[in-house]
Amino acid sequence: MSTNTRIILICSGKGGVGKTTLTANLGIALARTGVRTAVLDADFGLRNLDLLLGLENRIVYTAQEVLEESCRLDQALVKHKQEPNLALLPAGNPRMLEWLKPDDMQRIVSMLSDQFDYVLIDCPAGVEDGFKNAVSASKEAIVVTNPEVSAVRDADRVIGLLNTNGINPVQLVLNRVRPKMIASQEMLSVDDVTDILALPLLGLVLEDEQVIVSTNRGVPLTLSGINSPAARCYSNIASRLQGEEVPLIDPAKEGSGMRDKFRRLMQTKIF
Amino acid sequence: MENLISQERVIALPSARKEDWREAIPRILIKAKPGLVELDCRDWKLSCRDLKKIISFFEKAGLKINLIRSNVVQTLVSASALGHQTVLRLGEQSKSSSYEENNNSNITRKSSLLFHEGTLRAGEHLEADGDVLLVGDVNPGAKISSGGNVMVWGRLRGSAHAGKFGNQNAKIVALQLRPLQLRIANEIARGPEEKPQEGLAEEAIIESGQIIIQPAKTNPLP
Repeated sequence: MSTNTRIILICSGKGGVGKTTLTANLGIALARTGVRTAVLDADFGLRNLDLLLGLENRIVYTAQEVLEESCRLDQALVKHKQEPNLALLPAGNPRMLEWLKPDDMQRIVSMLSDQFDYVLIDCPAGVEDGFKNAVSASKEAIVVTNPEVSAVRDADRVIGLLNTNGINPVQLVLNRVRPKMIASQEMLSVDDVTDILALPLLGLVLEDEQVIVSTNRGVPLTLSGINSPAARCYSNIASRLQGEEVPLIDPAKEGSGMRDKFRRLMQTKIF
Repeated sequence: MENLISQERVIALPSARKEDWREAIPRILIKAKPGLVELDCRDWKLSCRDLKKIISFFEKAGLKINLIRSNVVQTLVSASALGHQTVLRLGEQSKSSSYEENNNSNITRKSSLLFHEGTLRAGEHLEADGDVLLVGDVNPGAKISSGGNVMVWGRLRGSAHAGKFGNQNAKIVALQLRPLQLRIANEIARGPEEKPQEGLAEEAIIESGQIIIQPAKTNPLP
């Protein structure tokens, strides 16, 4: 097993905060920089990472067949057409939940880490068996949360569990930030969230309607080339993950108009 | 069956300062007879992975663990994450019996003090029989409770219960007191709605049957 492979769990506790969207976009953004990246869908019950990447119709084998040894790993891996550095290992059928053990998960991940530089694991919501299996195979973690009280509470619980499982480092991504609502104090601010969770902030992702469009089309924002605020945020997160220093967006300085937003983003030098 | 239950024993790991548990376990388990046991982890800070390893050693020796004791909170959090019943054990030098003796009168300086470093996150519960001093925050959704005083060197934003055995003189002190709920003995109060003044440590005590919050006194232990 290669020791340099970064095995990163993307988890949140609460559902619907943007784990899968982050996994897909981060996967593409990392692959674009030239590193070999695998995304593993560990959400066996409600898999949809394949949907977001637009790879649903190209799945032949899944992680299940790999574990049963009825196919080789490279047969199950689905390579992304436009971004050949990215491969998806799809989740098997939901019955896998009944028999999958942490050992199985570790086996899959160690196979992946022989071939890839980054392995991103899309964790299921909740803190039950699916979560425990995914944690057992991970080295580091990204906790995704929204600026909402319930999402922050669940994230806090998850961080506690990650700490007891020896996952390090654990970093935070704050998703669906609405600068306007923060300014009018209707939404938790970035400081409110980091104050409670006390984690290093890997990045903010601004609320963006383009995310919904891209999800429905199965073309991740980071791939589509649209200069949208969220796409910028995802690319920034990928750069920071690789050790580059990219300044965080200040939500207070985000203009209200879309044009204003674009102009500011065009001016920020990222690479 | 009855015989089996009465045979329930405590198996203790060596103290962390004396010997590594990994070396000690084979020796301990050779002597042990199969059956139901309590595991005392003493001062070992164990992760889920460590505990799983220990539990699998025990299972191989035919031992079933029904309770895990430890004086380290992390170990207990790991144990409860694995679905085990847990009990927080007080420090070696102070026996809980000596605490019960003076339970009726005021808590004295003699009562044992549990010290914990690190933030309590949502869903975690730190419990002690005597006084407890926590260096770190108590986050919303976390709980801290004790038979004596609760002292938090940090922000208290979860729930706290002092004097849980009925001691009306117990108090709750924190650098920033903004709890969801406070309990002292049998009294319950909701936390204050408004934000507290910054840089002012506060304490909650019972005065004429009600929980009140006031600036903290210099001597935290009454």
